[in-house]
Amino acid sequence: MFFWLTAALLTLAASTAVLWPFLRAPAAAHEGAGHDIEVYRDQLREVERDASTGLVGAAEAEEARAEIGRRILRLADGRAGGNTRTTSDRIGRLLVSAAVLAVPVLGWGAYAVLGSPALPDQRLEARLTKSPAESSMDELVARAELHLRQNPQDGRGWDVLAPIYLRMGRNDDAVTAFRNAIRLDGASAQREGGLGEALVAAAQGIVSTDAQAAFERALAVDPKDARARYFLALGYSQEGKNADAADLWRQMAADLPADSPWRGAARQELARLGAPEAAGQTAASGPAPTKDQVDAAMEMSSEDRLAMIEGMVSQLDARLRENPADLDGWQRLVRSYQVLGRQQEARDALARGVAALGTGSAEAARLTAFASGLGVAQQ
Amino acid sequence: MTVELGHFALVLALALSLVQAAVPLVGARMEHPRLMAVAEPAALTAFALVALAFAALTAAHVTSDFSVVNVWENSHSLKPMLYKFTGVWGSHEGSMLLWVLILTLFGALVAVGGRNLPQRLRATVLAVQGMIGVAFTLFILTTSNPFARLDPAPIEGRDLNPVLQDIGLAVHPPLLYLGYVGFSISFAFAIAALIDGRIDAAWARWVRPWTLLAWVFLTGGIAMGSYWAYYELGWGGFWFWDPVENASFMPWLAGTALLHSAIVMEKRAALKIWTVLLAILTFSLSLLGTFLVRSGVLTSVHAFATDPTRGVFILAILTFFIGGALVLFALRAPSLAAGGLFQPVSREGALVLNNLFLSTAAATVLVGTLYPLVVEAVGGDRISVGAPFFNLTFVPLMVPLLLIVPFGPLLAWKRGDLYAVAQRLLAAFGGAIAVTLLALVFIDRSAAFAALGFGLAAWLVFGALTDLALKSGLPGVPLATAARRLAGLPRSVYGTALAHAGLGLTVLGIVSVTALEAERFVTMKPGDTAEVGGYTLRFEGLQPRQGPNFVEDRATFVVAGRGGEALGTVMAAKRMYTTRQMPTTESGIRTFGLGQLYVSLGDLTEGGGIVVRAWWKPLVTLIWGGALVMMAGGALSLADRRLRVGAPAPRRKAARQEAAA
Repeated sequence: MFFWLTAALLTLAASTAVLWPFLRAPAAAHEGAGHDIEVYRDQLREVERDASTGLVGAAEAEEARAEIGRRILRLADGRAGGNTRTTSDRIGRLLVSAAVLAVPVLGWGAYAVLGSPALPDQRLEARLTKSPAESSMDELVARAELHLRQNPQDGRGWDVLAPIYLRMGRNDDAVTAFRNAIRLDGASAQREGGLGEALVAAAQGIVSTDAQAAFERALAVDPKDARARYFLALGYSQEGKNADAADLWRQMAADLPADSPWRGAARQELARLGAPEAAGQTAASGPAPTKDQVDAAMEMSSEDRLAMIEGMVSQLDARLRENPADLDGWQRLVRSYQVLGRQQEARDALARGVAALGTGSAEAARLTAFASGLGVAQQ
Repeated sequence: MTVELGHFALVLALALSLVQAAVPLVGARMEHPRLMAVAEPAALTAFALVALAFAALTAAHVTSDFSVVNVWENSHSLKPMLYKFTGVWGSHEGSMLLWVLILTLFGALVAVGGRNLPQRLRATVLAVQGMIGVAFTLFILTTSNPFARLDPAPIEGRDLNPVLQDIGLAVHPPLLYLGYVGFSISFAFAIAALIDGRIDAAWARWVRPWTLLAWVFLTGGIAMGSYWAYYELGWGGFWFWDPVENASFMPWLAGTALLHSAIVMEKRAALKIWTVLLAILTFSLSLLGTFLVRSGVLTSVHAFATDPTRGVFILAILTFFIGGALVLFALRAPSLAAGGLFQPVSREGALVLNNLFLSTAAATVLVGTLYPLVVEAVGGDRISVGAPFFNLTFVPLMVPLLLIVPFGPLLAWKRGDLYAVAQRLLAAFGGAIAVTLLALVFIDRSAAFAALGFGLAAWLVFGALTDLALKSGLPGVPLATAARRLAGLPRSVYGTALAHAGLGLTVLGIVSVTALEAERFVTMKPGDTAEVGGYTLRFEGLQPRQGPNFVEDRATFVVAGRGGEALGTVMAAKRMYTTRQMPTTESGIRTFGLGQLYVSLGDLTEGGGIVVRAWWKPLVTLIWGGALVMMAGGALSLADRRLRVGAPAPRRKAARQEAAA
């Protein structure tokens, strides 16, 4: 309402501006030649001033005076022949009426096409201070971020924000937030498990040693934590230790309540490995594709999943060819090939990695040790 | 509602500009005083409306309203407040709005300050201003609307180009635009004269201060841009002959020519047709500059616009105004009365020579700027015309011009005595020769060109001083009398002397840096020292630091002088702006006297070293200091009462009548 009122007032002001000369008594019209005379007079005065201060010589000043005088004479001639036309007031009024009308018509017409009158201002500060019930997810997060920028020692705040980041896919932010929460409020199964999950998500589904350590710390606090167990098992299966993975998943299937989503996830993984849910039977070992985030991968068919992972692995491979001084990268590549069951390529990657890191170097030795832990031996 | 009100105000300003372009023009043809009188309230209200729109956009930027696309694309909630504010014109859309704001501001100034102009002239001038306003407001609303909205609004912006997050953005574009757009007034006066088919006596009196005003701003804008590029880009250069720089330099050259030819026109009523043409060409070059920078035909730091529709639209504006003006000129120029006569050797003659050199120089820069574009359009090859071309063409044109500069103000109007003037300049010439010899002997025996350059600079400065000395009566009168007369000289005389001396100082700075600069390019580890230009830099190490919206590694260098005395520290940094993931280099600069020590960081090397480029740039500050002196000269001339007198008497009469009514 305020907007329309102000817009109407602005339009009124603009139209009035056009109409203004018609609302007042006409100013005395000055003859053009009058202006010219004034200018010439002033020029004469200026010549006098310059001559009196000695800026121009007497002869020069005299000449300038004569010249200006000639201009005035010429002006007088021109004036005698000049014509003053009578003004046609009717056309004038018609034209100005059209102009006065054009202002609102054009203004409102164009604004109707271009504007978004229904959209209110959205100042950041106002968005961050309005009632949380009306806020969007983004706004709530930004608000929490603002709060944490001002109070970075608020562990509770990081604790709340971290899982939200994880759900929004802001994995790096989630890792930082979980680490801050652990640093400030101490370890808990929730925080350590969340950190591990965030690390897995940030590494596109691969359970790194960092993530593994996080899940182990979570289990140290709560040995029954479902998420930590699930991802640890996933890590085992990625390393080719399918038996260990199946053991853990079997435990989960057995001791988790029926309504726990992790129980279903564990049973699915067991089915994927072709391992029975009951203990005692040997797990069939087969190629074990890695898994992306839990939700994403569950929606995919196994071929899609495999294709996606192969794509990621070949990307990693290409990157390492360009930028070979990367121990962590080589470890991931060797493990990925091993996990995909491509033994020859795993061995090949190991050999290339050792060469790239420098045969005999400490890093190459670590890579070799890591590979032999996965069952990949140097040729 | 602020944003939408701003949008509405801009649309309304378009409608009003349309009225301003049409009604007074018809009124002037019909000799209808009331129709002509529509020009002033329309111009004033259009300015108020555009100012409202600009204020609304500023409010959106300052309050981080990311529902505005322009704010979302160019701002960030963590950006320091100053850059939130200057970011308003850091984007294409915002800078065009600033362009129109300045255009309407000048229109309003003519409406307020032009009451002593003949009404026909004033109405036609404002109508032409209105046309330019229509074209650019339409351009903004149709192709680059800063008020476009986003729903739902993002919670965080994409941040401003880091190179633009600098105090330079606060000063450079507004100054440059005040210059560019200021020339629209001279253009409007020229078009008005052509439409009317006659040039009023007040014409030159009016054109000259407006040109001077625009020239002062443009000088400042170019100098500021040069200094900004110098310290921000980290290459240590002050002028790159980059097309964007040329785009602002061409109107400056043409504007300088216009400034001088307008003097002839005002004083002697000569060179009328040429001045009109020059006024058209100067603004045309401003428009061309706007086109080059805004259309995205150039790819450089400044060209943040890449949408072809924009380019085509500006090209259409360009064609309409330049083409239309030149056609009008061809049709009407013959009917303009030619002015007074003069001898070749006279003040007028010197100014004509100045005009010849300056317009040829502008044409040279134009060729060098457009040639690569033409080649690319025709053959598809990308070539660049760089410093070698301009050094071979532009510099040889400038040297003779600079040589004759001191003669101009000393020559008499109409017919001058070259021999007498040369005699009077003998002292200045002797001084210049002395400086040349001193430079040759004491600074560098091998660089004859540098020594001659120093001599040329000294010639300009001494020539300007000679002018002042002669005008105060020296050497014929006692010192006390001369001092009294010096104090009583018109400000425009000081203005001329200052502007010419400032030119000399700039030349001095350029020659000094080009010829005597010392450069070191070394890899340094903490504790290492490097010596450049007599100063010793000791690298203390890199410290990581967290800025509001960037992280940086800051290097500290301890500076020691020639005798080993401690001269404090200089810091340089490599920054990474997190939102855009863009690295920038922050050069470290310390000023000693008129020279500067300039340190810039390169890449980190294996083994913990860092590549460091260090320069000692003697007298470098004079390059921009000279420009400041030129600006001061322009401002002084502008303050001369002579230029403020238009036609006072009728106005006073009218005021009395109004008071009586």
